[in-house]
Amino acid sequence: MSVTTSLQGKSGIGQFLSAIPGAGILLILMLALFTIVNPRFVSQTNLINVGLQTSLLLMIALPMTLIILTEGLDLSAGALVGLSGVIVAEALLAGWGVFAACTATLAVSIAFGALNGVLVAYLALPAFVVTLGTMGLMQGIALVLTNGDPVGGFTPAIEIFYRSQLWFIPLPIAIAAALYAALWLLLYRTRLGNYVIAIGGNKDALRLAGIRANLVHLAVYVLGSAIIGLSAVLLIGRTNSAHPTVGIGMEFEAIAAVVLGGTSFEKGQGWLFGAVLGALAITVLRNGLNILSIDSSLQVVCIGILLILALLIDQARKQFVRRAT
Amino acid sequence: MTVPATLDIRPSSLSPDAAALLGRVVLIVLIAGALTAVDPGFASVSNLLNMLRQASLLFLVASGLTLVIIGGGLDLSVGANLTLSACLAAAAIKTTGNPWYGVAVAIGAGTLIGFANGLMINRLRLPPFLATFGMLWVAQGIAYWFMAGQTIYGMPMSFRYFGTGFFLGVPLPIWITLMVCLACSILLHRTTFGRETYFMGANQTTALLSGVPVERRRLLLYVLSGLTAGIASLVYLARLNAAEPGIGEPLLLPAIAAVLVGGTSLFGGNGNIVGTVLGAILLTIIVNGLNLLNVAATWHPFVNGAVVLVAIIADLVISRRRSGSR
Amino acid sequence: MRTTRSTRCVLAAVICGTLFNSAARADGETIAAFTKNQVDPHFEGVRAGVAQMAAKMKATVKYYTPTKPNNITEGMSQLEDVGVTKPNLMLFMPIDAKAQLPTIKRLIESGLPIINYNDRGGDAPYLSFVGQDDYKLGHDIAKTLFDHLGGKGNVVILEGVKGSTTGDERKRGFDAAVKEYPNIKVLASQPANFQRLLGMQTMENLIQQFSIIDGVISAADASALGAIEALNAAGRKNVAVVSINGVPEAVEAVKAGSLLAIAEFDGFKIGCVATAVGLNAIRGQSAPKQVTIPGAIITKANYAPWLVPYKDRTCPTPDAYIAK
Repeated sequence: MSVTTSLQGKSGIGQFLSAIPGAGILLILMLALFTIVNPRFVSQTNLINVGLQTSLLLMIALPMTLIILTEGLDLSAGALVGLSGVIVAEALLAGWGVFAACTATLAVSIAFGALNGVLVAYLALPAFVVTLGTMGLMQGIALVLTNGDPVGGFTPAIEIFYRSQLWFIPLPIAIAAALYAALWLLLYRTRLGNYVIAIGGNKDALRLAGIRANLVHLAVYVLGSAIIGLSAVLLIGRTNSAHPTVGIGMEFEAIAAVVLGGTSFEKGQGWLFGAVLGALAITVLRNGLNILSIDSSLQVVCIGILLILALLIDQARKQFVRRAT
Repeated sequence: MTVPATLDIRPSSLSPDAAALLGRVVLIVLIAGALTAVDPGFASVSNLLNMLRQASLLFLVASGLTLVIIGGGLDLSVGANLTLSACLAAAAIKTTGNPWYGVAVAIGAGTLIGFANGLMINRLRLPPFLATFGMLWVAQGIAYWFMAGQTIYGMPMSFRYFGTGFFLGVPLPIWITLMVCLACSILLHRTTFGRETYFMGANQTTALLSGVPVERRRLLLYVLSGLTAGIASLVYLARLNAAEPGIGEPLLLPAIAAVLVGGTSLFGGNGNIVGTVLGAILLTIIVNGLNLLNVAATWHPFVNGAVVLVAIIADLVISRRRSGSR
Repeated sequence: MRTTRSTRCVLAAVICGTLFNSAARADGETIAAFTKNQVDPHFEGVRAGVAQMAAKMKATVKYYTPTKPNNITEGMSQLEDVGVTKPNLMLFMPIDAKAQLPTIKRLIESGLPIINYNDRGGDAPYLSFVGQDDYKLGHDIAKTLFDHLGGKGNVVILEGVKGSTTGDERKRGFDAAVKEYPNIKVLASQPANFQRLLGMQTMENLIQQFSIIDGVISAADASALGAIEALNAAGRKNVAVVSINGVPEAVEAVKAGSLLAIAEFDGFKIGCVATAVGLNAIRGQSAPKQVTIPGAIITKANYAPWLVPYKDRTCPTPDAYIAK
């Protein structure tokens, strides 16, 4: 874990600063800037907006963190969101109950997760290629099922579910928080979590230690796909319709969030909370630029610069720490 | 874990590389044969040239990317690079009236973006995926901003020859593809740079320890990727006769797919440029065939995904079988 | 947004300035105008129309466009974000009518006046809808082509984006016209997604498949222009191509004779009228439920007005279309 190791041998303010990853620093700066320029940015409605948008992104970014920790990648995540939404919607329209529809989509998600997992874990194929291929499969099935048209007119229960609140917290935010807590426990408080982190560091060593490393590796993909598939229920609640292409590009947004938060593609270095920071940074940037009415073409540039800047800060900090010790 | 193909000195009749390429040629011939049986019009010279011309556009975007991937990197900015280069070149041609300024601008812009990618990865030690992903957004944003919602259209005939012209009965984009392919082949297989690229891709640390100037080589790889994106942007511009800020974005994933279907591994250290040519042809012939069979366009992503999976699994099976009973 | 390219560098220098200014200006109402992408010049026409009418009626405009073309989720987030800034009026065109409807309804419930323009945005209590009849545009332009062909011949159709209101309605119009002409044969009908490259490549494949093509109907200018490139490259010079929209590049093609006719889908007029109807409504006038702007057929005989750059055109008033 790059972020925590960088703490060693530092003290005082320097230590505090070096503990905040690049995304965190940028997040603080953005919050300050947007609040000064337009105080509406910190209004309750807007904070809820940011929370809802972040939680949807987190539903993909959190499982993506697990996958990236195993030195993997899931490009099919966005396509799976689209396909899962379509399956839920079509099943509901065909008269299935909500529970049955969710079970169906869970089954499909797990099947595709297993396909990804088998190809990556057991056949040792690069995750990028495997998931690029399955992305085509899922996108294609979603298009064929719907003939390219959006599907609507199913039970309003889904939208009500998305809009409901737990005490005063919007349900999607509560779900994302619960998911974070569950994955945190899994990753940092169970043996399975240790194995997941070890896969990224050194899969062979794990295997030599007598662990069925391939099975653990496969499980990460299955778990990831199951979460991503179920998260589609929230998305179609937001839109009250399912669209076969709605998820295209979400995978890159989620990957960007994970990496912005300081998780690296190499050697299983990273942390789960990074995904939260990264997802917040991306959402706050987009939200703030919208609230300040910044020209859309400049928004595109800003996203690129934010990405590079956050990584630069992390690099600079690492070098600073290395020099100081 | 993958043994770099070039280091594989084996007295057997066929190297694994050649076997993989041959497999793809056989596959293309089989598909072409089946399509001809369904519709004899498929095998007409004009249809074949048409198909190759479409494949050549895809190949040009994928060519530099192949080099980068062999060297163990990745360039996600090729599509956005193509967009920006095409837009800037179109503006240069429109304002000066001289196509050569456009050529210079496109190649300059493309190379510069590649250079910036290389610098970010070398000097700032950013992972290639992210550096080029960030560059994707920056280049795309500049293109939007520069074009301000308009298109630039109406290129002079002399320039359009790059995209629409024929030389000895063969469309010019195919000639350009051949030249780029030949240049990349020579670079990869007949120069120290090429050998070092494979070496670097297979194992960067060993390459560094045995004296390969990894950083300089890497910079050059990204510059080459930018250069080919610049060249591709010219061919696109000449073909479409217009620049709009949306042309490059849909090309990124097909280009990566062409490289991978061509047998180049994302782990780096193996693959070759001819594979990418075959990959581009394979992806194009399938779309062409689906249209010929009147299959609805909604099926295209599914079939493309299946082709990618089949290609990598087939490669795996072949290489496992060749490496004996392990 | 609406500056010449040469002044763009100057603009770059003052961006930090505008960043702080944009929130401070408070003269007149603020309009939030949505468009679907930064790629299609049609939407540049819309934005130009909104800008001109807003300036005339002394209101400020802010423009919102997703960073990725026609991205549904981003379009939704943008709606939510803009709701927070509480503009006085919103001009909204859906990227996907079904998906964005729940958010729009909530914004209207919160008291934000919204005009739906360009594409129909589903069943919500909008102040008004300002747009054109896509079915009629499709029907009229197809009939123009069929009459030009003398009522018989082989045609191909390049469809729009499946599932979009504009694409589906236009296609319905094409199909209705085909039924009226028994000697017109539709060889193929394939999606070209309003895109130039896809229009070109689809046409290239159709040229290989069919030796005789007399006419091409395209759901939008961009794919028609791509198709024309393919036809020219293949030496098929006497194929009549028609499309819908009327962006400057396509009108020049009409002038040059490579495009037979365009059914006018005029972003500029839509932008002007939507702005006027909306501002009038929030200033106390009653708003008509629907304003349908008729689309002319642009041909070699009448193309001139559509070649005028957007910024030099004059906004029509809504009265021209309401009091029929």
